[in-house]
Amino acid sequence: MSRAMPEPGENTHRTEPDPRVTGAIRYAQDVELPDMLYACIVRSPYAHARVLRVDTSSLPADVVALTPDDVRALGLYGCQIKDQQVLAVERALYIGDPVAAVAAASPRAAREAAELIEVDYEELPAVFDAVEAMQPGAPLLHEDLAISDNDAAYFGMRPEPQRNVCHHFRIRHGDIEQGFAEADVIVEETYRTPSAQHVPMEPHACLARWTADGRLEVWTGTQTPFNLRMDLAGIFGLPQERIRIIAPPMGGAFGSKTFVRYEAIVACLARKAGRPVKLVLRRDEEWLTLNRHPSTIHVKLGARRDGTLVAKQVTCWANTGAYADCGPGVAQKMGFASPGPYRIPHVWVDSYCVYTNLPSNGAFRGYGATQAVWASERTMDLLAERLGLDPLELRLKNVLVDGDRYCTGEVMHDVHFADCLKAVAGQIGWHEGRRGKGLAVLLKGMQTPSRASIVVEANDDGSYTVHCATAEMGQGAWRAIRMLAAEQLGVPVERVHFPVPDTDIVPYDTRTTSSRSTYMMGRALVEAVRQLKENGELGYGECVNEGGLDPDTGQGIASTHWHQGAAAAEVRVDEETGKLEVVHLHTAIYAGRVVNPPAAQLQNEGSMIMGLGSALFEEITFAEGQVTNANLSDYNIPAADDLPRITYDLIERPGAEIHGLGETALPPVPAAIGNALFSLGIHVRDLPLTPERVLEASERRRVRSAAPV
Amino acid sequence: MARPIPAWLAPTSLEEALELRARYGEEATVVAGGTFVGILINQGLLQPAALLTLRQIAELAYLRVEDASASGKPLLRIGAMTTHRALERSPLVQRGWPVLASTFALVASPRVRNQATVGGVLADADYASDPPALLHALGASVVARSPQGQRLISVEELIVGHYETSLRPDELLTEIQVPGGIEGAVYRKFRSRSSEDRPCVAVAAVRREGRLRVTVGAVAERPQYFPEICALAEGQAGIDAELAREIGERYAAAIEPLSDARGSAHYRRRVIAVEVRRALEDLHQQIIATGGGSQRHV
Ligand SMILES: Cc1cc2nc3c(=O)[nH]c(=O)nc-3n(C[C@H](O)[C@H](O)[C@H](O)COP(=O)(O)OP(=O)(O)OC[C@H]3O[C@@H](n4cnc5c(N)ncnc54)[C@H](O)[C@@H]3O)c2cc1C
Repeated sequence: MSRAMPEPGENTHRTEPDPRVTGAIRYAQDVELPDMLYACIVRSPYAHARVLRVDTSSLPADVVALTPDDVRALGLYGCQIKDQQVLAVERALYIGDPVAAVAAASPRAAREAAELIEVDYEELPAVFDAVEAMQPGAPLLHEDLAISDNDAAYFGMRPEPQRNVCHHFRIRHGDIEQGFAEADVIVEETYRTPSAQHVPMEPHACLARWTADGRLEVWTGTQTPFNLRMDLAGIFGLPQERIRIIAPPMGGAFGSKTFVRYEAIVACLARKAGRPVKLVLRRDEEWLTLNRHPSTIHVKLGARRDGTLVAKQVTCWANTGAYADCGPGVAQKMGFASPGPYRIPHVWVDSYCVYTNLPSNGAFRGYGATQAVWASERTMDLLAERLGLDPLELRLKNVLVDGDRYCTGEVMHDVHFADCLKAVAGQIGWHEGRRGKGLAVLLKGMQTPSRASIVVEANDDGSYTVHCATAEMGQGAWRAIRMLAAEQLGVPVERVHFPVPDTDIVPYDTRTTSSRSTYMMGRALVEAVRQLKENGELGYGECVNEGGLDPDTGQGIASTHWHQGAAAAEVRVDEETGKLEVVHLHTAIYAGRVVNPPAAQLQNEGSMIMGLGSALFEEITFAEGQVTNANLSDYNIPAADDLPRITYDLIERPGAEIHGLGETALPPVPAAIGNALFSLGIHVRDLPLTPERVLEASERRRVRSAAPV
Repeated sequence: MARPIPAWLAPTSLEEALELRARYGEEATVVAGGTFVGILINQGLLQPAALLTLRQIAELAYLRVEDASASGKPLLRIGAMTTHRALERSPLVQRGWPVLASTFALVASPRVRNQATVGGVLADADYASDPPALLHALGASVVARSPQGQRLISVEELIVGHYETSLRPDELLTEIQVPGGIEGAVYRKFRSRSSEDRPCVAVAAVRREGRLRVTVGAVAERPQYFPEICALAEGQAGIDAELAREIGERYAAAIEPLSDARGSAHYRRRVIAVEVRRALEDLHQQIIATGGGSQRHV
């Protein structure tokens, strides 16, 4: 059973007016409090510099300033490694690092006041490339790396501060040397992917106030209210219950609105001002806030002549920028996604999360998988070419099936990689001719371990209220949970309310990331509704997934639930200019059960389009650490006219579990397009696939085929 | 201490605007559609004392055809405040100067084109815009007015460098004039990234009164035109494949391209050769289809 795209004109009509369309929605940036001030951040113009003096003496009297001296005594924070202070106190570590902040009566007054603050710096040597940053003699960003007590630091981290590594994740499975000795052929290649911006329509926005009795209240666009509360508690030395996080809906997030962003700065300003303080970022500041990890990935893959994979060695360098943020987690997921969904007896992975003097990189839709799949799936096609095999057959021969062991040692269940691959191959016309066509398959873990809990309450008027921390960022999570609740309660969806999450009220939830919410909350909900039906008033439900990997061997349970998908692309190339045209893109993802078809379809299309942008042109460019395209003219994202024919299957099975589908279709898209190019003999190692790179690669091909053999 | 908010000057007649322009000179930044000025102000690159908006001057938004040129050929007059969108959708333009309509339709997105003006894109003189190369190849001119009078400046003389024009601080660009009598005209926009991006290489090729004019845009500070190379097509009925290739290669050799995020100088040089050749091939097809006459272009 497979749910395809809606036909043109098909009725995807909703039963209630969409508040995003009527304008009734109040996003994080719309929250206002009486008497509030507006913040502006003063940022370092140097990629690495000692902060010598911050002079606020020319500020007008009614402006509140926050300087390193105000925050020196506050706690260090970081969701995985405690490497960050509220401002850069001793050293600024990237161009854009906050060194001071102001609060004033209007955004304009704040901006002007920020320009009046004078900062003296002593410039220090900087490093921007992850591989270089690990070399002896490279400037060191952090001297000691304390592992965070935040529950986002759920896995064993292996920092190596003397070489700028905040986490070194390993998989040791089988005997790698023996594996390569058994191989008839070995292919080897190095790939690079650039940094990218999430570009949510709504920028980061937050507002903080302190109550008369000394509680901190924060309204913020966040996917991680509880993780945020933990870090803020550590910074201010408060018990967690003295902090209240309210998480209004967001105009897009894609991973960028996770953990502490600017909440600590506005909280400090609000405390000093004795008034609420609000910050809404300017668009260009988004590039200085959080981006996607640039990666360098080396792959060595060995197989027998018949295509049976025997050994794979992967080294990943994930460039996390100046602060770790959740980079260690990203590097880990990049590491365990890089072997790909294959049976390989001997696997050796080293994945390094490396500090450099770039803005921090963190969660980004795909969470390390986009980079890993690019390297892994491009290498599969190199191998297929070397062996003279059909790339689809090579994959089907090796792909994991139910009951197989992954290289983490876990036994795989509910496995549908082959279904996804066959579906995309069929839709792209693989068997009618492979020229200009490419495939890629994806395995992506879900946050493990994690816990989701939910309360359902019966109201006097016969309606119900769901108390749940799941963040709404345009993905339709609130509506999906309301629909599930309505179905189980036997009422129309309009009778189920989902108030804005408030950590004073909602029960604990790990966070809204890794496409886990509909699945996890959906399961918790079943228990909550069962309880409510028993007592008629209130039900509580919880869903816990247990697992984790040994950080030194990568053995254990990487994920209790796998996101599975495949993509296929058909391309045309203008051989004279290198311009690549994607003609058709098809993805098939395993959805298990689709809760809200229109929202699921939009999520999947959005993922594909974001993948297309990463494939074709999205790239943050830097000059000595300075972002050179921090605006939407210079940084292109896909426009309507850039879209090829886009089709997809959301594969369902009767009685199956819900599978998250928020980011499954993105990671395989660039690799499928890269492989389609490769079918024409054009081998591009680095993303994005600019015409210039494609032309250069197609010329290499000509030179190669002209060379005597 | 707060930075002063710029004065907002909003004349409703051209006469009043010219008087304000002369009075304020460089103190006041002219605003047409504001798509470029707005970005400069937002990015803090421009902090004008005053803004002089032309938005309320109805008499500056028009499209008219007149039999005014010396040869008796029709002349298209475009009011400076005509938006890209209005030009692109005008039946008058679509019929008489189809290449103009189709080229303006390639600029940015409908959101930008609803706002951006024909005067603005020329006064802006951004190297990476589409219309300048085409208007240059079409032999268009602009009318620059001041209280003292007016002068006619060819687009070739108007754009002197990157963001630099020969307009004087007391002048306003009021009209764009595009001559008729075109036997064939082609514009090719080569984009290296999104379809809404500015060009990486832009090529306009026009044949008028038997003469070829090829202008390459977006590759250097100002539109690039080499009359001596175009003269190779002199006296030829069409442009055969060999000639198209040769002109393309000569243009590529003659231009010193710049490097930017849309492509390196080296890459641009390659693309210039290809795109000039293709533009001439397209032009040849057009000339053959219209029998060398001027069916489509008035
Ligand atoms: C997102 C985006 C994408 C774009 N993509 C493209 C593209 O693909 N191709 C392309 O060609 N262009 C592109 N542009 C540029 C756009 O076309 C120009 O910004 C626009 O044409 C400028 O016109 P305007 O009327 O908005 O000018 P304004 O911004 O109002 O003015 C531009 C300049 O000209 C001066 N000026 C304006 N009118 C007059 C006048 N009558 N007399 C004297 N001086 C005057 C102003 O003082 C200012 O210096 C893009 C712009 C944006 C914002």
